[in-house]
Amino acid sequence: MVTSPVLQRHPDDSWTLAAPRTVNPRTQRVLLALADAIMPASPRTETTLEDVTRHALVCLQYMPRSSVMAFVAGMRLLNWAPLWRLRGLRLLTRLSRDEARRHLVAVTQSRWLPVRMLMYGPLGLFMSTYFDQDCAHRAIDYDPVPFVEERIELRRKWLEGEEPGADQEIHHLPVVPP
Amino acid sequence: MSILAHRDYHAHQTFDAEVVVVGTGAGGAVAGAELAEAGRDVLFVEEGGYHPTSSLNPYLTESIPRLYRDAGATMIMGRPPIPYAEGRCVGGSTLVNGGMTWRAPERVLKEWQDLTGQPDLGSKALAPFFDRVEERIHAKPQHPVSVGEDSRLLEEGARRLGWRYEHNRRAQDRCVGSNQCLTGCPTGAKQSTLLSYMPRALSFGARCLTQVRVHELWIERGRCVGVIGKAVNPRTRRCDIDVRVRSKVVVISCGAVQTPYLLLRHRLGRRNSQLGKNFLCHPNAKVVAIYPFDLHAWQGVSQGGQIREFLEEGVVMAENAVPPGTAAAQIPVLGEEALEMMRHYNRMAMTGVLVEDSHAGTVTRGFDAPLARYSINAYDHERFLRGVRLLATLHFEMGAKQVVLPFSNMHIANSVDDLRQIEQTQRSRSTIELFTVHLMGTCRMGSDRRSSVVNLRGELWDLPGCYVADASLFPTAVGVNPQVTIMALATMVAQRVEVPN
Repeated sequence: MVTSPVLQRHPDDSWTLAAPRTVNPRTQRVLLALADAIMPASPRTETTLEDVTRHALVCLQYMPRSSVMAFVAGMRLLNWAPLWRLRGLRLLTRLSRDEARRHLVAVTQSRWLPVRMLMYGPLGLFMSTYFDQDCAHRAIDYDPVPFVEERIELRRKWLEGEEPGADQEIHHLPVVPP
Repeated sequence: MSILAHRDYHAHQTFDAEVVVVGTGAGGAVAGAELAEAGRDVLFVEEGGYHPTSSLNPYLTESIPRLYRDAGATMIMGRPPIPYAEGRCVGGSTLVNGGMTWRAPERVLKEWQDLTGQPDLGSKALAPFFDRVEERIHAKPQHPVSVGEDSRLLEEGARRLGWRYEHNRRAQDRCVGSNQCLTGCPTGAKQSTLLSYMPRALSFGARCLTQVRVHELWIERGRCVGVIGKAVNPRTRRCDIDVRVRSKVVVISCGAVQTPYLLLRHRLGRRNSQLGKNFLCHPNAKVVAIYPFDLHAWQGVSQGGQIREFLEEGVVMAENAVPPGTAAAQIPVLGEEALEMMRHYNRMAMTGVLVEDSHAGTVTRGFDAPLARYSINAYDHERFLRGVRLLATLHFEMGAKQVVLPFSNMHIANSVDDLRQIEQTQRSRSTIELFTVHLMGTCRMGSDRRSSVVNLRGELWDLPGCYVADASLFPTAVGVNPQVTIMALATMVAQRVEVPN
């Protein structure tokens, strides 16, 4: 197997990732609390929570100002969820991860569309970032790089004239299910 | 140098060209390449960056910000709100789509011909353009080596239920099924415009300015004579350098949301109020089945074929395996519950139901971005419910133990019996969860200036010298993947562009 540097993270192709958006400490606290409640508690590394929130701030840099304002305002509203749901007097940032999660689950499953919409951004952003981390990939037994490397090599040989045979087909099921 | 980036620009720089093409996706790259091949001096202006095949990798956290508009955070407002995705890079959406090459169906082209009252958009007139495009992007069926288990499973399910299943023809040259279409093909097999039309255009002398966002058209004495934009600093994301391009002709190919956004700045189309209207988007609903055995759907081509049994009703079903980050974002559970579900990732078959729009929305100018509005109507809602039930039935027929449904109040079906509740529980259009990647129709082409935005040459009725060549030209929805239809229309427009001396 040829180990290709092509598929590694942060390839040296002179592409620059935007610097994370600067937010005030209160917004930073809300961001951390939401990410912590939305992501699975394990597996995580020491830096997973920080990496995920940092990536969220990077993504904000790519959005128009109106989207950023809506996202931040939505997070603030979520932080107040225990109050406007009449289920408590403390903000999410003051609650434990499990308590905060209970409120967010209720918001996600609300029968009111505008309430559910508050979770669209944070859920999509934090979940997609968390499940792109190596620790999460290991937990769900997903390892794309060796497979893609093998496919790149297969295509290279094909371009040289060696057409792939049946033994290179992708099979995981022993038989078609009854 | 043919491709310039932010670091290459100087303050208040003005470039000259015969034709400036805004956008390098399915419309822009094709129109630009055809014009360059015809001997025109072409300059592309692209908002995104240039990311060669060697820089592409399977990680969403790197691919999404650099390849997708607004880091993927784009939404159509309505009932329900519909997230959408489009490319923002050299290659546009062709770099991050599945590369399917279905021609617009005969009945759609007949409708276009009838609507315009001219043969130009009929199947006979467009056939040579389709042929030309398909040859250039290597549209052909998949080799068996690239097909994954999820595709075989769907095909077998369709066979058992007596439904028509057709293998996809895709824009690919020796695809080996790495299934990285969404993050850019790292094998170089998918023939996005990054690898097909753009190199062709550059070889004929075209140039490309990347990381430049066009803010307005340059208009003199009622004629479009260029574009005015700003270079986007890749580190700060600030638009910090003025860039102008003066040209004889401008071709706008920014897609069905950004094209009307740019044109509306100049209050064009006020005579008939058609600009930004007729917004179509082929909404999709995800149906994720969990099987009791490993499928490894992330291995093998992202979409091997489509169930086209219900095509005449405007419903198409297909598999589309996505990376775990994308899958997790669409499953509305949090924390440990999400992880438990994602532990079945290798056993998931990720499929979807596409419904051809029966009505349209609008695109207007928002505060600092386009505002797309679209709500599904009762007829489309009914077709979604039927499509989801049929597709979930197929999965249970094939042995799925659980199906994740796209309804906020009914996530899971554990058996065919559960599916009978769909019609009773899904009375509201607000509970269905949709997404889309096919945006069309906001600058419709026509022969009557009272009912269309551009004429049959692609030129704006209201602004000589300004042409449109992208999906916004479509008079109605195509009902299938729109890529080759966009490319065919862009070829037609390129051949009809009149460059003044």
